[in-house]
Amino acid sequence: MEAVKEKKEATTKTKKEAIIVIKGLKKSFGKKNVLKDINLEVDRGENVVVLGKSGEGKSVTIECIVGLLTPDGGSIKVFGDEVTDMNDNQLKELRMKIGFLFQSGALFDSMTVRENLEFPLTRVLKMKNQQEIDERVNEVLEGVGLVDAIDKMPSDLSGGMRKRIGLARTLIIKPEIMLYDEPTTGLDPITSREISELILNMQKKYKTTSIIITHDMECARITSDRVVIMDSGEYIAEGTFESLQKSKNEIAREFFKDIS
Amino acid sequence: MAEQELELTGWRKWFAEVGDQCVFFTRFFRNIFKGGFEWSEFIRQCYEIGYRSMMLVGITSFIMGAVLILQLRPSLESFGQVGMLPKTLSVSLIREIGPVITALICAGKISSSIGAELGSMKVTEQIDAMEVSGANPVQYLVVTRILAVTLMVPLLTVIGDVIGLAGGFLALNIKDSVSYTLYLHKCVASIDFSDFLPAFVKTIFFGFAIGFVGCYKGFNSNKGTESVGLAANSAVVTASLWIFVIDAIALQVTSILFYK
Repeated sequence: MEAVKEKKEATTKTKKEAIIVIKGLKKSFGKKNVLKDINLEVDRGENVVVLGKSGEGKSVTIECIVGLLTPDGGSIKVFGDEVTDMNDNQLKELRMKIGFLFQSGALFDSMTVRENLEFPLTRVLKMKNQQEIDERVNEVLEGVGLVDAIDKMPSDLSGGMRKRIGLARTLIIKPEIMLYDEPTTGLDPITSREISELILNMQKKYKTTSIIITHDMECARITSDRVVIMDSGEYIAEGTFESLQKSKNEIAREFFKDIS
Repeated sequence: MAEQELELTGWRKWFAEVGDQCVFFTRFFRNIFKGGFEWSEFIRQCYEIGYRSMMLVGITSFIMGAVLILQLRPSLESFGQVGMLPKTLSVSLIREIGPVITALICAGKISSSIGAELGSMKVTEQIDAMEVSGANPVQYLVVTRILAVTLMVPLLTVIGDVIGLAGGFLALNIKDSVSYTLYLHKCVASIDFSDFLPAFVKTIFFGFAIGFVGCYKGFNSNKGTESVGLAANSAVVTASLWIFVIDAIALQVTSILFYK
């Protein structure tokens, strides 16, 4: 009976295991307080979309999570470890479990698509077997539907293709957490929808936990389990996409007013 | 660093930059001895920096050697010392003009291109992408470039010196008729160890300064298109200034060690 109880508790814990916990996060640039008091918990396997106007510090939050920026105050725990206290080696180990898709895709423009994809495998995972490397490269390229682009240079790719290859490069190390910084910005509505669906498919395939920073409502609708709305350095509303559609919060209503 | 720059002005900013450069130097130095040296990238950089600069250095040195002979001839002729032309050219070329001219050309070509390349990688978030993937951008981008320039500038200087002497030989034969064996004999006989060694050693420092300044300016450029141009421009100006400072110091040290 006790064993059953323990198992049940363990199952409940697995279902609701918060792997990113942010408490009282603060960050300023000069005199501008970009993040005033950010509190967020993301459970394993959950897709959280952060909505907010441009320049509100949405990207700053995820840059703090991977240690690209150092917060002025507050706490960020990922897998239970405090990111702000990590040394270089600990940070490197953490980053191997996190994939970060930049707004521009951030492909290394002096390398071909193949070299871009091989880079994290040979430099980070230190893989040496070329056959294994080729298999992984082909697997992620098939996942994003761009096998034919393998020998192209980034300058030969369209905006949508760059985002797909950027996504493939982050997924190739099989991260447990994915952070997306405005994945559909600058794309036409059809490509935006394709990228959003791709994010959802990849999340299902690789069972990642994701934070998606966006102001694209269609992307939020497709990808989100939960939506958080940010304004003036704080999260002001939270809920499912459908529940926020009915929210009485003025800023939330502004975001959802064109959604039928 | 970016957030500090908003606050600092004048001397404080200057000291902050000196501090940043010391930190950058320490990161570079530590990463030389870390495992996993990027040999393939180092060799690629040697090719890009060394081989691709050879034509420019060669043409400039050839013209410089010829011009020096043509300029020196009337002065020496008035003293009846035309026979001193090969000696005067070889000593001035190998001790001073060859290293400084080659270094200035490399500052213009290499330092600016490194500054612009890394600056553009910073703007397009490629350096951040490398860092968040768990790879080491200092080891991959900075160490390889600085060491490649430090190795290539002395080699380019030696090549430039030889081509400069060839230019001088051609110019000398416009009015006089000198056999190449006599010319070569006179050039080599007038150069001794104390002429060649200090000049060669200072080119190693020139190379380091060119690579270091280019990498520092590019790696620490701000996130904006304008900053790419500023990084390239500032890299050329600072590297050129450092070349003259190192040259002045080298002269003093050489005077103490070799010409008492």
